[in-house]
Amino acid sequence: MRAVDDLSFTVEPGQVTGFLGPNGAGKTTTLRMALGLITPDTGTTTFNGVRYAGLPEPMRQVGAVLETAFHPARSGRDHLRVYCRATGLPVARADEVLDQVGLGPAGRRRAGGYSLGMRQRLGLATALLGDPSVLVLDEPANGLDPEGIQWLRGFLRHLAHDQGRTVLVSSHLLSEVEQTADRVVIVGAGRLVRQGSLAELRAGSTGSVLVRSPQIAALAEQLRSTGTTVDVTDGAPDGLTVTGLSTDEVGRRAFAAGIELHELRSHTSGLEEVYFRLTAGQEQYAARTEQGAA
Amino acid sequence: MGIVLTRLVRAEWAKLFSTRVWIGLLVGACVLSGAFAALFTAFAGNPDSGLPPLDSPEYGQLAFSLATNATVISVVLGIIGITQEYRHRTATPTFLATPQRGRVVIAKLLAYAVAGIGLAVAVCAVTTAVVLVYGNARGDAPDLSGDNLRVLAFAGLALVIYTVIGVGLGALLKNQVGAIVAALVYLFVVEPLLRSIPATSGAYKWLPGGALEAMTATFQGPDLLEQWQGALLLLAYGLVAAFLGTVLAVRRDVV
Repeated sequence: MRAVDDLSFTVEPGQVTGFLGPNGAGKTTTLRMALGLITPDTGTTTFNGVRYAGLPEPMRQVGAVLETAFHPARSGRDHLRVYCRATGLPVARADEVLDQVGLGPAGRRRAGGYSLGMRQRLGLATALLGDPSVLVLDEPANGLDPEGIQWLRGFLRHLAHDQGRTVLVSSHLLSEVEQTADRVVIVGAGRLVRQGSLAELRAGSTGSVLVRSPQIAALAEQLRSTGTTVDVTDGAPDGLTVTGLSTDEVGRRAFAAGIELHELRSHTSGLEEVYFRLTAGQEQYAARTEQGAA
Repeated sequence: MGIVLTRLVRAEWAKLFSTRVWIGLLVGACVLSGAFAALFTAFAGNPDSGLPPLDSPEYGQLAFSLATNATVISVVLGIIGITQEYRHRTATPTFLATPQRGRVVIAKLLAYAVAGIGLAVAVCAVTTAVVLVYGNARGDAPDLSGDNLRVLAFAGLALVIYTVIGVGLGALLKNQVGAIVAALVYLFVVEPLLRSIPATSGAYKWLPGGALEAMTATFQGPDLLEQWQGALLLLAYGLVAAFLGTVLAVRRDVV
């Protein structure tokens, strides 16, 4: 089966890009293919024009966290020092990034005793070791407490906006990236659903019209006759939700048909609803080892 | 390439020495070989044990070959060296730091070959110490020279090669517990069976255990290769395991 199919997008520097999709949409598979860990059938990913495996010192250009798993008996600091040695960085870098992510003295403890939030921070520290201009983070907010999420938001914005780095953050929750991301790329069932700035996404949300009338059956029939989507409004026996028409148009048609209206107002759906609508029904729990084309 | 490989070998040592597994394995290997040396020295010349007497040349070679009892620890050291990356899911950051996965496996082979040398030196030292000290206490210890010295040197070499085989096996199987169990079953069940069954004992000399025995055993055994042939065969096993492990690690997806 195909986990990811025909998916293309560009991530720009100086911005936080949210990579959104329901669980099983192919986000992690996409990131693993981008980083050369999984070989796609077709397609390529380049970082500043070069494939990951072709980067001379990948950790100095791309910092990626796909997994917050560590050897439980090794301290966070020793974990970082291993990768300092592998990349030819001074081992003192380990202490610098530990301070940067707020782990500090906990770095000397065994990683097996870390909380989920501390693991996320250690993962982030690993990505920052090489001071890369590109950061790729898979679900970095998972397991963070509200304070940690607040900290992460500020930290990612700082890395992108103040330091001009390219930051790609995946998440299955829009609310996690809503306050951080400048742009979003939404995937569902392995395909691109929508990409653009959050403002564009909001603007693109087709608003609906709420209307109450004592003659809703007649009104619904009138509106449906032109192919308009009409639903019964939840919790209001005399209400309809009309999608695709303006309040003016609904009022004009009701007047023309001689239907009495008690309420007529527009309803702008929130970003969360847009996201939900875009990805609804696309949740897939396919085996993660399956691969496809990017 | 040389500098990169040096860095990666150091990273592997940093991994090995930042947990305490190596201490357990080192102590285990020394105790295992030392205990066998003590047991054999205690019963040397005892008619019921069937062991040759302390002052015979056969006993000397047998005593120093006991260092090879630690080969099981060598294999486990090599297996853990590579499978811990999969078990604790650190293969992802490791291969992100070095996308040229072949280099990672080659660095592991080199790093663990050197670690295997350290293990072999310690095991040979303990075996020699027990054989000489205990033998002297019982009246007559064999000399560490001539054939005896050669047996000890080959035993040490076998310990190093078994470590490399362990790395290759670990890369093939990926599953730590599975690889260790497979190695133990092979070493303690499959090979002894093949060695004792007449129909298969002819093939035994071509197996790693047969090669090991050819390197170190010099009296009453099954049909074996020459000492140097055994060493070459075992080395070939190590290289094949290393090659297969490298190829698989490079090709397989890291999920």
